[in-house]
Amino acid sequence: MNTPTSTFSLALVSLFAALIAVLGLIPKIDLPLGVPITLQTLGVMLAGCLLGPKRALQALGLFLMAVALGLPLLSGGRGGVGVFFAPASGYLLGWPLGAFVTGAVMAVMPTGTPRQSAISAFVASAVGGLLVVHVCGVVGLVYIANLSWQQAAIGTLAFVPGDLIKCALCVTVVHTVARGVPDWRFGG
Amino acid sequence: MPPTLNPSAFTTPHATGMMLEGVRLQRGNTVVFDGLNLQLNQPRIGLIGDNGAGKSSLFRVLCGLDEPQTGRVLVPEGPQAVGMMFQNPDDQIIFPTVEEELALSLQHLQLTRTQAQQQVRERLHARGLGAWATRAIGSLSQGQRQHVCWLALTWCAHEVLLLDEPFASLDLPGQALLTQEIAKAPQQVLVSTHVLTHVRHFERVIWLDHGRVRADGAGAAVCAAYETDVASRAVVA
Amino acid sequence: MRSLYSDRPTWLHRVPAGLKLLALALLGMGLFAIPQWQVLALVSGACIGIFISLGSATRHTKPLMVGVLVAGALVAGFHLALAQPVLAAVTVMRLISATLMGIALTLTTRYSDLLHVFEWLLMPLQKLGVRTDRVALQLALMLRFTEHFFVTWRRLDEAYRLRTGKSGGFKILAPLTIQMLITARRVADALTLRLRRKPLNL
Repeated sequence: MNTPTSTFSLALVSLFAALIAVLGLIPKIDLPLGVPITLQTLGVMLAGCLLGPKRALQALGLFLMAVALGLPLLSGGRGGVGVFFAPASGYLLGWPLGAFVTGAVMAVMPTGTPRQSAISAFVASAVGGLLVVHVCGVVGLVYIANLSWQQAAIGTLAFVPGDLIKCALCVTVVHTVARGVPDWRFGG
Repeated sequence: MPPTLNPSAFTTPHATGMMLEGVRLQRGNTVVFDGLNLQLNQPRIGLIGDNGAGKSSLFRVLCGLDEPQTGRVLVPEGPQAVGMMFQNPDDQIIFPTVEEELALSLQHLQLTRTQAQQQVRERLHARGLGAWATRAIGSLSQGQRQHVCWLALTWCAHEVLLLDEPFASLDLPGQALLTQEIAKAPQQVLVSTHVLTHVRHFERVIWLDHGRVRADGAGAAVCAAYETDVASRAVVA
Repeated sequence: MRSLYSDRPTWLHRVPAGLKLLALALLGMGLFAIPQWQVLALVSGACIGIFISLGSATRHTKPLMVGVLVAGALVAGFHLALAQPVLAAVTVMRLISATLMGIALTLTTRYSDLLHVFEWLLMPLQKLGVRTDRVALQLALMLRFTEHFFVTWRRLDEAYRLRTGKSGGFKILAPLTIQMLITARRVADALTLRLRRKPLNL
């Protein structure tokens, strides 16, 4: 194929950033128990699992740049550089790092069969999309909202159940992709 | 015996004409072409055949997206000599507004951004499409997007245009407009299509079947032969 | 999609984008370095004053303002509940000052002007192999397809609704993702053709 991998990577990064933007435009989804969740952080996990560490980092970086430029792409129609001064900005800045770690973990885990890919996706998204992002979020809460480390850690735990559900959703998407696009190389 | 080649006929600038010589293309386990030989000099050539016959693959080889495992492909010189329009406009429009999309096609003119924008507006205005300049792609209909793709294609410095099933998503007026535009284009144009009316009057039409040339000649005759074949297969089935 | 930039001209519109960004960065650093609530109160007052001086340009900022106020109230409530009024005041003032000025920048700075500044800031990364000249293209590509994927989401949801009578919700995500991966391959082909500058080796 004469289509260089660099052009394919370029397209993939941009289109995935677009997908993350769409996840913010869709109104909150209601899960079976009536629990509403926003899907955008799911985009972080998916980016890592599907694109690999480097491209996932670029996709989230591109997305955050678009937000900084004044586009209302965060769920709720928020955007502009101001969002990076909010208490939750630690989580935001944790997205590119979380996507990178998710991708790095996915790259070293087995993805030979759809079932293996699904299990690997759960581990990768829990480590990168959940753990790393929450750690960054806690740092942000401590420095911006002046919480103590314990307070911030306890506060962030409130969001962990919702994020675990997103890990599960990430797994279902990865599983479907593994079946629908059999030659897809997870972890980049 | 392969036909004797006169390479100078093809590698001089602005010479129309392309050639495939002994081309073998394999994708994974499928052999798409094996020993394909074609000389493509006519200004208008139609390409017909069933789905999976290799029409898109032939175009991909000609514009360089796919490289054959063996054989030679000769096309006019220059990185932008051969251009292609894909079937679905949504797969190939890159920018969110019409003027940005068309400005990219003018990059060979080496203009500044403002100059390019100016050029785009003037050209659109000359076609009576001045209002399109600032419009978002998302606000255009399928047919209008296809027209943007056509303009983007013809404004590049291509010598050859490959149109892959361009009539597929157009309504009748849209098809009529595109046919007119194709007739006026100064470039060499190859059209692959299922809507045979648009290529019947072409000087040459090639019928591809399982990667081989099944018929090759005057448009009317080849189209008629293909239609007869399709009809006979339908009856048997 | 509409950016948050406001067309209504204000004095701040005339200030160069790079200068505004630098001022914001310095303000941010300064705010978090100052512990005295009296100084912060003065700074906050100035920031609120600047924001109000933008007048009607601040019309469409309701989602952003609501976000700021909610966050501020939560944080303040949190610290007050722990009997730390000074900490509450300091935190809220920092928050409001920085966020309001961030919003002011967004309202008064054109996308293209700010992009130029970002491209300039990213130039050092070129040494690490990052293709900074492609950034504008990638942003455009991203915006173009955000709208497209949104439409695709709605179409998939409609199809699901027609068959099941309910909204698809997250079940649509997998088909949409696959669509995206397939489209990326095709878009890459189109990009290869339109951006090609080197001759083909045939």
